[in-house]
Amino acid sequence: MGEHEILEGLYYTKNHEWIKFEGNLVRIGVTDYAQEQLGDVVYVELPEVGKVVKQATEPKTKEMELGAVESIKAVSAIYSPLAGTVKETNQTLQDRPELINTSPYSEGWICVLEPSNIEVERESLLTPDAYATFLKTLK
Amino acid sequence: MGHPYIPNTREIREQMLDEIGVASIDEFFADIPEKIRLKRELKLPRQMSELEVKRHVQTMLAKNEPFTKMLSFLGGGVWLHHIPSHIQSLVQRSEFLTSYTPYQAEVSQGMLQALFEYQSVICELTGMDVANASMYDWATAIGEAALMCARVTGRKKVLVPELISPERFAVLQNYASGPGLELVKLGFDWSTGQIDMSQLRAELGQDVACVYVENPSYLGFLETQVEEIADAAHKVGALFTVGVNPISLGLLKAPGDYGADIVVGEGQPLGNPVSFGGPTLGIFACRDDQKLVRQIPGRLIGMTTTLDGKMRGFTMVLQTREQHIRRERATSNICSNEALCAVAAAIYTVSLGPRGLRELAEICAANASYAMKKLDAINGLEAPIFTSPHFNEFTLRSTQPKFTIEKLNTKLLKQGIQGGKPISREFPEFGETAILCTTELHTKESIDQLVDAAAEAVGARR
Repeated sequence: MGEHEILEGLYYTKNHEWIKFEGNLVRIGVTDYAQEQLGDVVYVELPEVGKVVKQATEPKTKEMELGAVESIKAVSAIYSPLAGTVKETNQTLQDRPELINTSPYSEGWICVLEPSNIEVERESLLTPDAYATFLKTLK
Repeated sequence: MGHPYIPNTREIREQMLDEIGVASIDEFFADIPEKIRLKRELKLPRQMSELEVKRHVQTMLAKNEPFTKMLSFLGGGVWLHHIPSHIQSLVQRSEFLTSYTPYQAEVSQGMLQALFEYQSVICELTGMDVANASMYDWATAIGEAALMCARVTGRKKVLVPELISPERFAVLQNYASGPGLELVKLGFDWSTGQIDMSQLRAELGQDVACVYVENPSYLGFLETQVEEIADAAHKVGALFTVGVNPISLGLLKAPGDYGADIVVGEGQPLGNPVSFGGPTLGIFACRDDQKLVRQIPGRLIGMTTTLDGKMRGFTMVLQTREQHIRRERATSNICSNEALCAVAAAIYTVSLGPRGLRELAEICAANASYAMKKLDAINGLEAPIFTSPHFNEFTLRSTQPKFTIEKLNTKLLKQGIQGGKPISREFPEFGETAILCTTELHTKESIDQLVDAAAEAVGARR
C-alpha cells in the first residue's frame, strides 16, 4: 500500500479526496489511491458552478455530491469534504478524463469550492500522515 | 402423498423436517390460523386428457372473429401491416428467440449485431445519431424522454399538445409524478388542429425542460409548425422531443432535419404483429451530444474492434448509465428492452429499403386520402375534422343528429367491417368522432366497401 503518492501540504478525507487551501477557497480532487482503485477513468460528471453542497457525513445524500467519476465498469460519486459553494470546475476533464489517472493531484483536479463552515469542518480533515495511516488500515 | 412437481420422497421430507426441528408438516405450518385453512379439495374441474384439452380450447377459439377475416380500419396507436414471412422465420430462430441480455459479449455477437443494426436503422429513419436498443412502447419512451430532458436541463416543466394520445399521456403522468415534473397541455387551432403557437410562446420560459409533439398526431394530422416549435423551444434552452409512427418517415422529413433533440415512437408497425395491442416496441433516439448521450435511458449497443484490431465486434456500451451498475442513480429503471421486436423491426426495415419504405408510406397516405374524400362526400359524415394534411389516419365525425359512432360501427360490423376507434370519450369536444386507419392492406375496393357500407348506415343512399 505504501506506493501510493500522498503529497505534503494537502488535506485528505477517508473518501479519498484531497483538499488544497488557496486563500479563502479550496481546490478538490481525488487521491492517487482513489484513481488506482477506480481504474481507467472514462468520464467525469462535474458539479454545476454555483451548486451548494454539504459536508459528507453518513448517510450520504445527493446534497453532498460533487459529481461522479466513471470508469469502464464502475461509477463513484465524489463527496464533498467541506460544505460550501462550487466556484469553478475543471472543464479540461470533459475531453481528457484520463487526467484523473495520470495527474490526480495536479491537472486532474475536480473543482474549486468556497467553504461556508471551514472553522468547524477543517477538524474532520486528515493530514498527510493521518491519511497514510488510514490507507494502511485498508486491506 | 406425492406431488407431481416436487419429487421429494418421504425420507427426504422427514430429513428436512428433522433439520429444521419440527415434527410434522402440520407443525411447520402452525403459524397459519386454523380458521383460514382449507380442509377440502379445491373446487376445480377434473383433469382432462390431451385430446379433451385440445377440443376444449378449439371450441373456445372458434368463438373468435379474427381480423384476418375482416376488413379493419382500426389504428390509434398500433397499426396492421403486412409482415413478410421471412421476418417471422428469422425472428423465430432460437439464437434470437431464447437470447438473454447480451452482458457477455463474447457469446452474444449475433444478437448484439442485430440490435446494433436496429439502432442504425432507427438513426437513419429519425435523423438522429444515437438510438437505444428499444424501450417498451411509445408511451414509456415519452416518459423516459421527459425524465431525460429534466436531467439534462435541470428543469421540471414539460409542454405537450392537448391532442396527445390520452393513453400515452396517462403513462407520461405516471412517469412525471415521482420526480415532480409539471405537465402543461398546449391548446390547438380548432380548424387545423395545429398547436396554438401563442400559447406555446407564453408557456416557454427558463423553466421548460421539454417541448413534446406527435407527428403524425394521435388524430392523424401532421404537425406543420415543427420548425417554429423547435426554434422557440431552443431559444429558451428547452429540448424538443418528437413522437413518430416510423412508417411515416418513408415520406416525411426526418425529425432530425427539423430540429428534434430526441425522437420517440412506436416501432410495432415495423414488422411486428398486432395482438391485443402488442407486442409493442418503444423507439428512442437522440442527437450526438455528450450531455444527451450520457443521460439516455436503456441499453446501447456499440461497435468496436478486437484488441489486435483485426476483427469487428459488438458490445453493450455506456453501461454505467444503467441499473445493473448505477443502481438507484441509473438513467432509467427500465433495464429490459423489446429485443426480439427490435430485431424484427430491423429485418423488416432493411428488407423494404428506403424505396420500399417510401412506397409503403405513399400507399398508406394515398389510401387515407382517398377514404377521407369518399367518406366526406357522404351526407351526415365529415372526414377529417381538421383541415391539416394527414398521413394514414384521420378523424371521421357523424354530423347527423343522434347517429352515434357506436351505431355506425355496429352497422359496419354486420357487414364484416371493423370501423374506426371511437374517441367520443377521450375528446367529447369533437362530438361523435372516430379515428380510422388505412395501410397497404387496404385496396381501393375495400375502401369503397367501407364507404358504401357507411353511406348505407347513415341512410345517405337508398
